Amino acid sequence: MTATTTVVEGAPAGQAAGRRQGRAGPGPWRSRLYRWDVRCSPYAFVAPFFLFFAAFGLFPLLYTGWASLHRVELTSPGRMEWAGLHNYARLLGNDFFWNALRNTFTIGVLSTVPQLLMALGLAHLLHYRLRAATFWRVALLTPYATSVAAATLVFVLLYGRDYGMVNWALDAAGIGPVDWQNGTWSSRCAVSSIVVWRWTGYNALIYLAAMQAVPDELYESAALDGASRLAQFRHITVPALRPTILFTIVVSTIGATQLFGEPLLFGGAGGQKGGAAHQFQTLGLYLYEQGWFNFHLGRACAVAWTMFLILLLIAAAGGLIARRLRKEG
Amino acid sequence: MNPAGPRPTTAARRVVPAPRAGRQLHGGPLVYAVLTLFTAGSLLPLVWTAVAASRDNARLARTPPPLWFGGNLLENLGSAWTDANMGLALFNTTLVAGMVALGTVLFSTVAGFALAKLRFRFRRALLLLTVGTMMVPPQLSVVPLFLVVARLGWTDQLQSVVLPTLVSAFGVFFMRQYLVEALPTELVEAARVDGASSWRVVWHVVLPVARPAMAVLGMLSFVQAWNDFFWPVIALTQENPTVQVALTGLGRGYVPDQAVVMAGALLGTLPLLLAFTLFGRQIVGGIMRGAVKG
Amino acid sequence: MTPAWSSGPFRRRALLLLAAAALVLVVSLLDGCARDGGDADRPGGSGRTTVTIGTFGVFGCKQAGLYEEYERLHPGVTIRESVIERNDAYYPQLLTHLAAGSGLADIQAMEVGNIHQVAAAQGDLFVDLGRAKGVRRRDWLPWKWAQATTRDGRTIGLGTDIGPIAVCYRKDLFRRAGLPTDREAVGRLWAGDWQRYIDTGRAYTRRAPAGTVFTDSAAGLYNASVHGYAERYYDRRGRPVYANSPAVRTSWDLAVQAVRAGLTARLKQFEKPWDQAYANGRFATVACPPWMLGYIKEKSGAAGRDKWDVATAPRPANWGGSFIGVPKAARHRAAAIELAVWLTAPAQQARLFERQAGVPSTPASYAMPQVRDARNAYFGNAPIGAIFTTAARSIPLLVHGPMEAQMGTAFTDVGIPQVEQQGRPARAGWRAAQKEIENAVDG
Repeated sequence: MTATTTVVEGAPAGQAAGRRQGRAGPGPWRSRLYRWDVRCSPYAFVAPFFLFFAAFGLFPLLYTGWASLHRVELTSPGRMEWAGLHNYARLLGNDFFWNALRNTFTIGVLSTVPQLLMALGLAHLLHYRLRAATFWRVALLTPYATSVAAATLVFVLLYGRDYGMVNWALDAAGIGPVDWQNGTWSSRCAVSSIVVWRWTGYNALIYLAAMQAVPDELYESAALDGASRLAQFRHITVPALRPTILFTIVVSTIGATQLFGEPLLFGGAGGQKGGAAHQFQTLGLYLYEQGWFNFHLGRACAVAWTMFLILLLIAAAGGLIARRLRKEG
Repeated sequence: MNPAGPRPTTAARRVVPAPRAGRQLHGGPLVYAVLTLFTAGSLLPLVWTAVAASRDNARLARTPPPLWFGGNLLENLGSAWTDANMGLALFNTTLVAGMVALGTVLFSTVAGFALAKLRFRFRRALLLLTVGTMMVPPQLSVVPLFLVVARLGWTDQLQSVVLPTLVSAFGVFFMRQYLVEALPTELVEAARVDGASSWRVVWHVVLPVARPAMAVLGMLSFVQAWNDFFWPVIALTQENPTVQVALTGLGRGYVPDQAVVMAGALLGTLPLLLAFTLFGRQIVGGIMRGAVKG
Repeated sequence: MTPAWSSGPFRRRALLLLAAAALVLVVSLLDGCARDGGDADRPGGSGRTTVTIGTFGVFGCKQAGLYEEYERLHPGVTIRESVIERNDAYYPQLLTHLAAGSGLADIQAMEVGNIHQVAAAQGDLFVDLGRAKGVRRRDWLPWKWAQATTRDGRTIGLGTDIGPIAVCYRKDLFRRAGLPTDREAVGRLWAGDWQRYIDTGRAYTRRAPAGTVFTDSAAGLYNASVHGYAERYYDRRGRPVYANSPAVRTSWDLAVQAVRAGLTARLKQFEKPWDQAYANGRFATVACPPWMLGYIKEKSGAAGRDKWDVATAPRPANWGGSFIGVPKAARHRAAAIELAVWLTAPAQQARLFERQAGVPSTPASYAMPQVRDARNAYFGNAPIGAIFTTAARSIPLLVHGPMEAQMGTAFTDVGIPQVEQQGRPARAGWRAAQKEIENAVDG
């Protein structure tokens, strides 16, 4: 690179040529090299990612799309039998699919809404000047470091019907025991609580960061205007956090749509069914059950692609809302 | 609402300002009380994991459940360690998570930079593709992915877990979003005008700016790779496991021993917890610095 | 502006970081290739052969010291076992590995609920062990041998254990409920019909010690009953009969009766609350295959000593059991076949029984003293050898079908719990189970 240091006339924009060794003024060769570099480097930058992506992301995606149009069984995945849109048509008339879709939505709301609201509240509290500020932040973040497997293991024990700690406490408080696995809503709440537990602290920190970026003068002037603290929170903090809130909503929604590990492990043996009445079977579990327990890979792939399309729709809706918000802002 | 409205000048107002929500305000007892409550909620399940791991099976079965530590912790940790091949598992997981974190950060930063600041054909299409990939449910790709890995002869080898995990659409998107705002376009152009090659631009302009986000992304990828279990369980076996794979084989033996299973879960979580305790300030700071632009 | 490249330290650190990343990636790739090549060069060559065995749950071979002994008998062979705790995680992995022809162990275990499907769909990917040296077909129970045999007569797995059923019961609770406690007398209470078991349950319930119920779960009762019939979910011609086979109908009615009469503890077997119920002595009986004895002992702990005993079940039935097969893609095929044959030979199966694993699928083992004279001290010194081998001999020739595992769980994991744990009407539970099966069967 340092080979040609000769300064040559007619360098484009003629700037700073040879100001430092290694950044020699472009000669004809150099300048061609330079142009080539400008034109091609973007591709070089995205190439590593997209190469891997092609092998480990795109190929599986297209393969499953192709497989979703076939009858394929896990017992012999090599044997494919063209089925057209049969797998998709079957989904539309399948109660289990709609049940899973509804559950995914319900559990998604149950886990996302309290999680983000609590995170917002916590961020507000963390925003005060606190003693041992780092301690509070780290402590609230620890659940995030716990794996789904480890977390669910503990929660299953805590939520045990006959000998669990939660029911023991409820009993002590005079409230009858709850069947956390077999109740329709109690099981959904229990699954959601695992998600909420793991992610609230993390989101609180993201909100806190956004809050700290809000200029103090805004609060000062509002305070001088006599706005109450609550009013300040509603009229300064929340609007300033809008993009961040939107971001967390999008990420949580994606997570909620793909919810899998928590309900699977919460259900114990046969967890893929999401309870005896499929009361907490999410789309992710339904896919898993179809593909890995009933061995209908083709149909599982159709579920996956349907999930994918649903998420694209949600993302498009989110994008529209974001644009609307930006215009208003 | 007009936050930037004119400042009131009357002396009276200055004398009795309404309380401010800014960071200057000290937290009152109520603030501490609520925080304590949530902190307890965050920590208790983990503490109880340790409590359960320090008991034996019989005690775990009785009501009321044990609320304080028993004497079997070391013994249970010991059997979890040997039963589940935990030493190798921890080593493997560290290696895998480390490589995933480094690789993801590397790929995502350069690709994110290109997608954020450089003009080239297919940029929008590639960006959309990346965002679209985030929506793909991970359970979906397992079968074709396994076929690829098998074709390459990688089953039961760590790269079968590392390489597919490197494809983090979230990482690329995250870095792109960060760089769009954090990296002034003029900075890139100025370096260009200076005649710097693209790699030099990345090296000297982009990387320094991207550092906080890189740190966050690295941390996020590390934690995620550490805790990932769906794909590793399929790609690896107990012969060469990661921690989460090792845990699926734990508690076997004639009778699943709940206390040992909990001890295993604790062993698998402990390294991350330790890191969070030691580097808590940096990790929290990193998340917050990287998140602002999110 | 000041270009950032003047900041040396960062540059150096970043360079280091990147170099390290690249290095690690390259090394790992090379390592992979090297290992791959190494394996390819190895078969049978100089030095040691490592035979790998992939299993689910516990086979007990290791615990019984069989691997150790085999390694002693065959210097140069090392055995390594890779275990996945649950078959529902193990089996799909086995299918994917078979399809890809990669990642397979030299010997793979298969559960009785899956063997039919493997034989039908992937049978040609396994070595025909029926022709292996040292295998004598007549050593095995005929129905066990038939289960692992494909239509064209190839035997893809050798039977390991079987699961004849007995009933484990608590003498102390029976005494307090005014029932006989002697195992012969208890067996006579319900001999011949599970309906009489239910009747005993009603008698128990009338005088039940506080806080206890008769049995653990309706699903356990269902399984114990249904597996005593030759045709359960498929008939001999291979047609699905889950909707009206006498086996399913009768067993379902028994389960519903047990729920209605409040005989069950409303537990799911092999879940933590079930374990805890043992420790707390919540129920008086449980239908138990031999491998469950160790479980009960461990979970009931010292508190249950001298309280449990084993009686003959109302009808002979087989619940569970496994096979081991050698995939054609096995790396050390010859060594694997030899080991598989040795592990399933009558003498070795007898030793496994001694260690409280399953009952041998080879009747030749039954006369061996380890089996014939086996007693279990924890269970009141019950002659478990005699009880279980007698049951084993009377098990009917069972008919199997490809989706029977899914059909079974539709009843035990959906239909019955809906009635037992969620309090739905029996008819709703039945319909749910049927719908579940229709959804699972139809690709």
